[in-house]
Amino acid sequence: MKKTGLIAALLMGLACAAFMAACGSETEKAASEPEPSGPKYHCSIEIRCDTILDNMDKLAEGKRELVPEDGLILYVDNAEFTEGESVFDVLQRECQSRKLHFEYVESKVYESAYIEGIGNLYEFDCGELSGWVYSVNGDFPSYGCALYKLKDGDEVKVLYTCDLGADVGATTNEE
Amino acid sequence: MRNKDAFSGCHPAVNFTYFFLVLLCSMIFMHPVCLLISLACSLSYSIYLNGARAARFSLRYMLPLLLLTALINPMFNHEGVTILAYLRSGNPLTLESIIYGVAAAVMLVTVIFWFSCYNAVMTSDKFVYLFGRVIPALSLVFSMTLRFVPRFKAQAKIVSSAQKCIGRDVTNGGPLDRLKHGLTILSIMTTWALENAIETADSMRSRGYGLKGRTAFSIYRFDRRDGYMLGFFMACGVYIAAGAASHGLYWQYYPRLKGELGGLFTLSLFIVYLALCSAPLIFDLTEDRKWKYLGPTA
Repeated sequence: MKKTGLIAALLMGLACAAFMAACGSETEKAASEPEPSGPKYHCSIEIRCDTILDNMDKLAEGKRELVPEDGLILYVDNAEFTEGESVFDVLQRECQSRKLHFEYVESKVYESAYIEGIGNLYEFDCGELSGWVYSVNGDFPSYGCALYKLKDGDEVKVLYTCDLGADVGATTNEE
Repeated sequence: MRNKDAFSGCHPAVNFTYFFLVLLCSMIFMHPVCLLISLACSLSYSIYLNGARAARFSLRYMLPLLLLTALINPMFNHEGVTILAYLRSGNPLTLESIIYGVAAAVMLVTVIFWFSCYNAVMTSDKFVYLFGRVIPALSLVFSMTLRFVPRFKAQAKIVSSAQKCIGRDVTNGGPLDRLKHGLTILSIMTTWALENAIETADSMRSRGYGLKGRTAFSIYRFDRRDGYMLGFFMACGVYIAAGAASHGLYWQYYPRLKGELGGLFTLSLFIVYLALCSAPLIFDLTEDRKWKYLGPTA
C-alpha cells in the first residue's frame, strides 16, 4: 500500500511540474513587456467578420449567435499606443479592456503572435480556409501582427476571411 | 468459481452486452446529466463489487485526477464567452473551458470505474467462452494480456522473496548492489514471462484450442431471465441511440453552455439511461434481499 502511495505522489508531482512549466513560460513573457512611456499616439481599429455572413452555411454549429448582423465586432476610433508598440499589442489591450474574447498563440516559425480567435470566432470555424487576417491602411502585410510597428494615425483592420484572404482583398498575404 | 455478484451469474453474453453498451455511452455522451448518471452508477457499482478498496482508489487517485484535469484544460484552452480573468499570457480564462475540463475528467474517471467493474464481472473465462470460437487467437491473446499484469506481480513477489533468502533482494546492500539485484530480478522476470508465454501457447495448442469442431466445457446456460435482461439492455440501447440521433441529448460546451435539458423526450432519455446504467446494481440488491428473506436464517 505504501508503495502505491509513493507512485501516486510521484505522478502527481510530475503533473504539477508540467503545470508549473506551463505557467512559467507565460510569466516570462509578461515580464519582458515594455513599460508604456513617451508620447501617446492614436490609431483606429476595426474588427469585422462580414465574410461569415456570406458563408453562414459553412459556419460551425453553435457559433451563429456570435456573428453580429452588420458584421462589425469592434470599432475603436482612437486607440492609444506608445512608441514601438505593434498591432498585436494594441489589439490585445483594446480587446481586454472591453472583455472581448481574444486568443492567440506564439508562433515560433513566424516569430510573432498568431491570432486564433476573436469573439469566440476561431480559425477554421467557417470552412478550412477561414481565419483572421489584418491590414494597415489598406495593405495586408506578409508578416505577423506582433512584428508590425504602428505609426500615428494608422488604420488597422482585422478581418475574418473564409477564403485565405481572397474575399477581403488580400491577394497573396496571409496573417 | 464463485460469482462476485448476482449479475455475474447471468450469461456472459448478457454481461458483455451490458458493459459494451455502458462503456460506449459513457465515452460518447458529453451531456452533463448523462455524465453524472454514469459516474454515480459506475462508482456505486464498483464500490458494491470491490468494497472499500474501490472507495479508497477513487479518493486517492480519481479525485486528484479530476481536479488536475479541471485545472489543466483552461491553461491551454481559452474558448468560451464567459471570461473570468486573464492569464499572464494575455489569453482569457473562461468558465466554459473549466467546465469542459471537469466534464472530460468525469468521463475519464467514469470509464475507469466501468472497466474496474468489467474486470470483476467479465472474467477471462467468460470472454474466451464468448469469443473463443469467433476470434480464437485474439481472444486468447486478450485474456492473456489482461492476466499478465497480476501474474507478473505475483511472480515478482515470489522471485524477490527467493532472492531475499540469499541476500540478493532490492532491499539488500548498498545503492549499487541494490540496483544490480534489481536488474537481476528484472532479467529473471523477463525470462520467466517469455517462457511462460510460449508454454501457454504450446499448452493451448496441445489441447486443440481453436480447432474446427472442438467444443469447450462451459457451465453457462442462457435461461429466460438472461433473455429478459438482454432484451431490456437492447431496448434501452436502441432507445438511447435513437434519442441521441435525433439530438435529444444535444449539449455544447463552446462557445456557450447550452443544450437539451428540460424537454419530456430528453427527460425520458435520462430515465432510460439511468435504468440501463443502474440495472446490475438494482438486480444485485433485489437478489440480496431475496436471499436475506428466503435464506436459511429466515
